[in-house]
Amino acid sequence: METGEEFGPWLARQLKLAGKTQAELADELQLTRAAVSAWITGRSTPRPTVMTDIAKALGTDVGTVHTRTTDTQAGLPVTWYHRPGYSDGGRDLGNAAAFAFDADVQVLARETCQNSLDERLTENGRPVRVRYTLHELTGEALDSFREAILWNDLFPHYSAVSEAAGNQKVGRVVDAGVRDMYEKGRLVLLRVDDYNASGLIGDDYADGKFAAVVRRQLESLKSGPGAGGSYGLGKATLWATSALGLVLINSTLSVPHEGRTERRVIGRLELPWREVDGEPYAGPAWFGRPDPDSPGAMVARSWWADEETVARLYLTRESDEPGTSFLIVGAHDVASLESRSDADDESGGVEDGDEDTRDIRKMHGRLVEALGRDFWAAMTGGGSRLPLLEVSVRAFQNGKEVVPEKQVDPSVEQPARTRALRAHYEGTTVDRLTEAGQVAARNVPLKLPLSGGAHGTLGTHQAVLLVTEAEGDRDGDGGKNQVHSLRGNRMTVKRAGVQRLPLGTNPFQAVLLVGEAVGETAPFAMEAEEFLRAAEPPEHDRWGQTEELTLRWSPSAYRRISALTAEVNNAVRELVARPKRTNREGGEAVRKALTVRTRPKAKAPAGPVVPVLDKLDATVGDDGEWRITAEVSIPRGDEIVPMVPVAQLDVRSGGRPKLEWAELVAVEGCEVEDETLRFTPGVRRAKFRGSTDVTSHPVRTTLTRLVLELRAGKGE
Amino acid sequence: MKIYPYKRLNRPVALRVTSVSLKLSDGTRDQLETTAYSTQQQSVALGIAGHIDWVSATIGLSATLPPGANAPDAAWSDLSVLAVLTDGETNVRTSADLTLDAEGGRDWSGSLEVLRDDHLGRASLAVYAVGTVDGVRGRSIAETDRSWIVDTVSDEPVRGLQLDVQTASFKRSSREWLQAYADAPWIVDASARVPTVFVNTDVEGVIGLLDSNGSGVDSKVRDLLVAQMATDVWTAVFHGAIGDLEVEPGGAPVFPTDWQGEVLREMLPDVFPGVHVEEALRQVHRRRTGESGWVELQTRIHYAAVRRADAAKALAYVIRSLEQMNRESET
Repeated sequence: METGEEFGPWLARQLKLAGKTQAELADELQLTRAAVSAWITGRSTPRPTVMTDIAKALGTDVGTVHTRTTDTQAGLPVTWYHRPGYSDGGRDLGNAAAFAFDADVQVLARETCQNSLDERLTENGRPVRVRYTLHELTGEALDSFREAILWNDLFPHYSAVSEAAGNQKVGRVVDAGVRDMYEKGRLVLLRVDDYNASGLIGDDYADGKFAAVVRRQLESLKSGPGAGGSYGLGKATLWATSALGLVLINSTLSVPHEGRTERRVIGRLELPWREVDGEPYAGPAWFGRPDPDSPGAMVARSWWADEETVARLYLTRESDEPGTSFLIVGAHDVASLESRSDADDESGGVEDGDEDTRDIRKMHGRLVEALGRDFWAAMTGGGSRLPLLEVSVRAFQNGKEVVPEKQVDPSVEQPARTRALRAHYEGTTVDRLTEAGQVAARNVPLKLPLSGGAHGTLGTHQAVLLVTEAEGDRDGDGGKNQVHSLRGNRMTVKRAGVQRLPLGTNPFQAVLLVGEAVGETAPFAMEAEEFLRAAEPPEHDRWGQTEELTLRWSPSAYRRISALTAEVNNAVRELVARPKRTNREGGEAVRKALTVRTRPKAKAPAGPVVPVLDKLDATVGDDGEWRITAEVSIPRGDEIVPMVPVAQLDVRSGGRPKLEWAELVAVEGCEVEDETLRFTPGVRRAKFRGSTDVTSHPVRTTLTRLVLELRAGKGE
Repeated sequence: MKIYPYKRLNRPVALRVTSVSLKLSDGTRDQLETTAYSTQQQSVALGIAGHIDWVSATIGLSATLPPGANAPDAAWSDLSVLAVLTDGETNVRTSADLTLDAEGGRDWSGSLEVLRDDHLGRASLAVYAVGTVDGVRGRSIAETDRSWIVDTVSDEPVRGLQLDVQTASFKRSSREWLQAYADAPWIVDASARVPTVFVNTDVEGVIGLLDSNGSGVDSKVRDLLVAQMATDVWTAVFHGAIGDLEVEPGGAPVFPTDWQGEVLREMLPDVFPGVHVEEALRQVHRRRTGESGWVELQTRIHYAAVRRADAAKALAYVIRSLEQMNRESET
């Protein structure tokens, strides 16, 4: 059984929620105010009979009062609170942070997974588990979900936004989202759960992770200096992915708040400025319990929901392990349209001809692809190092699993890179590559500048470069000959190709570990980590000049990164390319001109066109003869060269024995005359059949290979 | 088109080289770096490490059979996979059995021993999946569609045959026959193992010009010179190849399997466009040995050589940079 919170604080909150004073409760129970006060301060607890009376007074059952795992339903019910319009008449037509992102589940995957990784509980050494669930609701399931989120209260707001939709982007997106739900009768929920993470801890309003995610914009309260995120932008992708601008949250806390940890629930809606029933609204709205302490008891705060409520909201968490579940209501994936051609293979043949941004199978494929691409390193362990992250993706339709849960396996998604990193952890790297499948390691220096614009070098951090052979076609990402760079959070930041490789270089994949990715104890690992984090733009996709770098170090600090890149490319070239020979006689140009290589063939001259053999069926007949049926394709031309079909037996070396024809018959488009095919002018295809003369066979037919050729002229 | 009288697999076997090591004459082994082979060019260069005294090479191989090779209802049994190294010059064939990596899988691996004395230069490496079909043993069910090239001499794993270029002072060379050509800037020897171009260092500055790698007019002139040389070389090589054909009993020529074959395969489509190379070879042979048509063919041969030498491009560049130079000197 769950352990409820202390009776005193619990009762105090119930009174506050119900809008009752201690005196009023004392009156109802016909007790003194001092007795109630003593319960609340924890000096005493009520007798069991009084418990029943308290339950009655609070409008709940005795069980709730005893266990105290949820709030009573007394007082103000869970509702939507819409932030009123600004008194100065200002209007925000959408959230700028969400504007920065397109609806793209791959960006969502990157940002949310990075957040989970940053919030991992590190003490127990276990990985953070992240699970993406796509859930398509239709019919009854959709109706009851809409009821659960009080859709009827929201609808006027959506209508108001739709009416003004012509004017701005967010409105149009929302309008399209609502229309899709009604026209197609469906709604896609995308849930992002993490387990073994800190959860949304802290007060509803004061500084803390809860407020940072739910109440504030552009605030990042990351747990450590090595964190991946640093701008507080990532959370905006949650709302950007929702066509309805609606995200519901259920968090299990790692540090109790108000004496509780489980089922802290709140919803947040991002809409542009709107006017409903003559009242202006600023934009955001929150789904929660009205806070009696707020002015007019209007502001919605998170509440401790019961299991039934979270189930109705599709927010049930599978265990009491700390972490957060985000439910994106009306998820769509506009970016999938661009990459439609490569996503087609994964959609399992579901091709309805409609460019659908809400296809859960397609989204499933794109999530797996993005997670494998960006987080393969965090998912890789080896030696004494455990993986930091485990991710899985699944898809449901009205509670029925349609794509089974699939744990993203880095050695499937990124076999070569995963092998490289694993070899590094296990200490099985080599100095030079002598066998396919080996991993070569090299140290590459990163000279860290002194901060504050001072000249000179703080110290040299030795980054580790790993190079291994690329794994054929299974490495679907961005081609071969790439360097992926990682720092402490083990998320791929930078991918870049290596230029100026000689022709015929064996395809490879390289991984560069910098900062704490090398190991926390590596010299200057922390400094390198800090430096590179400052050099990351909000997209976390490269290292280069940023404002922060300029301010904290110097305007030329980014050159240290360029120098690192140059060193890396040299080291890669040294490992994978042959050294250039120095004294080649006669110079490179002559040698190149004297290499026999395939070139585009010369154009056929004008004049009679030459038919070619296009299709051939052959069987061995009852008497041991070869029976053939052949199709010929004829290029467009006025005059067609007569051709002679020649049957030969294939040999390994020397001349091929020729077979005589016993019979040669034209089927269509040609006629046979003296074992020569003459084609009807104007036809593009012709067909003939024939059988060989067994007496001309030098060996048993079943032990031969037949070669059929068409020859111009006499055919000898 | 080829037809087999039994059931086979349509798709080819994929072959990869995974390691190369040399056994030296003193009994030691040198494990070569993976740069000794190129998976893109599908070639192995055993000369890369600069050893002159190696005795044999061990090439590690991995082959993947096409889907269906191990299907339970397949028409074949006793499946085995062989790597076969064929040298068209020395007519040596070496084969090695590969072993199945994992039961039920389609990956086979093993290694092939290449004895240096068996080969002159380039040999081709293919993999065959063979089995018993219709009661006949050793039938090929699938093979690689493109062979790897194992070059025992080359120091660069490139697929294309590279003709040899040598520099020598024709007057003072130990190759006495060169002295007869002392006034020629270069000469082609098509009778060597691979056709070789000798550049005469007695012509002052020719080496410097060929080695130059600037971007000015020099390099354009160099390209023109190279194009001129290449035209000569390709013409000579073509004649060398065509003059030396083996002839079948019926009088038809056999396609050569050594460098001559490679040269002919590349050049014949330009000499006789629009027909199969084997047909083209027959026509060339007929004209050379027959009554007429050989003289007319010279234009086509010349054209094929010019195309290979990229003469048109080189000439255009020279003209353009000359024009530019003239304009600059006028202003």
